[in-house]
Amino acid sequence: MRPYTGTCWKLPDAVSSDQLIGPAHVFDFEAETLRKHLLEEIDPRIAAEAKPGDILLAGRNFAQGSNHSHPFIAMKAMGLGLLCRSISRGPYRLTIFMGVPILTITGEIYDALEHRDRIEVDFTTGEVTALETGTTFQAEALPPHLLDIVKAGGGFEHAKAQEQDQKPL
Amino acid sequence: MAMTLVEKIFARCAGRDTVTAGEVVWVRPDLVTVPEVAFPAYVKRLRGVGFERFSNPDKVVVAIDHEVPAHSQAGAERNRLTRQLAHEFSVGHLFDSEGITHPLLIERGLVRPGDFVAAADSHTAVIGGAGAVGVPFGFETALLMATGQIWVMVPETIRVTLTGKPQPGVGARDIALATMRELDETAASYRLLEFAGEGLAHVPFWDRMTLCGLCIDIGAKSAVVPADAVTVAALEGIGVETTGDVVSDAGARFCQEVEIDLGTLEPLVSVPPSPTHVRRVSEMRDTTIQHAYLGSCASGTLEDLRAADALLSGHKVREGVNMLVIPSTRKTYQRAMEEGILTRFTAAGATVLAPTCGPCFGGLAQLCAGERRISTSTRNDPGRMGSAEAEIFLGSALTVTASAIAGHICGAGDIAKGRPS
Repeated sequence: MRPYTGTCWKLPDAVSSDQLIGPAHVFDFEAETLRKHLLEEIDPRIAAEAKPGDILLAGRNFAQGSNHSHPFIAMKAMGLGLLCRSISRGPYRLTIFMGVPILTITGEIYDALEHRDRIEVDFTTGEVTALETGTTFQAEALPPHLLDIVKAGGGFEHAKAQEQDQKPL
Repeated sequence: MAMTLVEKIFARCAGRDTVTAGEVVWVRPDLVTVPEVAFPAYVKRLRGVGFERFSNPDKVVVAIDHEVPAHSQAGAERNRLTRQLAHEFSVGHLFDSEGITHPLLIERGLVRPGDFVAAADSHTAVIGGAGAVGVPFGFETALLMATGQIWVMVPETIRVTLTGKPQPGVGARDIALATMRELDETAASYRLLEFAGEGLAHVPFWDRMTLCGLCIDIGAKSAVVPADAVTVAALEGIGVETTGDVVSDAGARFCQEVEIDLGTLEPLVSVPPSPTHVRRVSEMRDTTIQHAYLGSCASGTLEDLRAADALLSGHKVREGVNMLVIPSTRKTYQRAMEEGILTRFTAAGATVLAPTCGPCFGGLAQLCAGERRISTSTRNDPGRMGSAEAEIFLGSALTVTASAIAGHICGAGDIAKGRPS
């Protein structure tokens, strides 16, 4: 998996699942619809302007609240990666399951990066580089079994690939 | 090796003798539940990658509970498709407009103490009230239906010991909110909450669903009240045999211990912007409300309806307040009707609707900017029930009913005992 290079969209602590995508869209699972609503309440420019390779930089307790898959379907469709200070188990799993690369980072890294900075993130090694200054930070990479799911493109693709691997030639 | 309740459950579901907190294991849940919100989308995604069958369809429960009755063309189509796909995939149970999944599982005798339920919906922890463990997995539940198994990290357990006896007007909601005051998201994350102590004798069976269900909103993996005499008696009453109650061993490791003296509690409410922002009802009396809602999987039980009914006796819902009452299951609705409760609610000025999740996630009875609702539902994020400029407060059935009578937030103790009608 190649490093992600793009713009950093900085978010505060405790962005809730309902703020990521409003509950009015709970019945909708179409990625092309959901991506238009990602974080619209907090910053509508993200849905309009974010490009593949961009990074959401979140604070503590990201995606707290209802265990909704919708934000991660949108993030996958938009080609975004995720750095956050902390995330509870429900959204952590869904991030990986939807094939969105993720690193949990320290407060030092969060504080060192500014909104709209250009950054590069290697999700396989955990290396985060602020391209404006050239400063590199080291975060803990995902455990190999979870990184494999992200590399496959998500849980479904990973399961399918495993199933095929097990088929006799 | 001494194990906690959840270690025992995950060991069994992993086909192992023992597991330890922190381990990642593959487990086969006893039941998998999916609401109609997601079921057709899950099947579409599964078919897109070539899965045409469920691994163990008998263990799959599909529920039409979020948009009931359908009030949009899209909802009608989704409900129809859900019925069709549930039959095509031969799922074990289809709850069609019969109530909210989590209390229905218990009411139908589908969960026993020590069971593990994997759910698409967040509030599956409600079944912890029956000594079972429910964990939400969202979209991953789709793949689980296809393959029959899912990886889990065995969680550490926090033991919450309840002592003392609650004052009148203090119940499971208040205990859950008191727990939120003790444990923040950092403490609860990835962990399971297990309730213990002699105080549990004062938490009736159906209130335990409220207690456990709300713990998801602290950020916990799940919560459970281990089966005791109360559980066994209640489950026997609905025809469920309980064999070999699953409880934590003496000497099992708890990562944290919390004690709550029920005798010191007073009615509590969650204030915006999240359930964990807890205040005493007595601090909030200046807050006027225009809407009151009694229902959801975190309330709406026959016991909550009876308590609200008793408090309403001799009173009316205040003019200018819209009170909505939604029993959580059809059976509860029917019992409440037979007992005259729904008639009295209606006479007092409340609106009664058929069982559904509806208002809890803003699917029904939306709020306008500037309006306030007090609710027995699960969450109060801005925008959860319509406008992001509306405010949602969460309290017990008694607090919600008292507030509906007074027109501002208050507790049952603030309402004069009604005249016999």
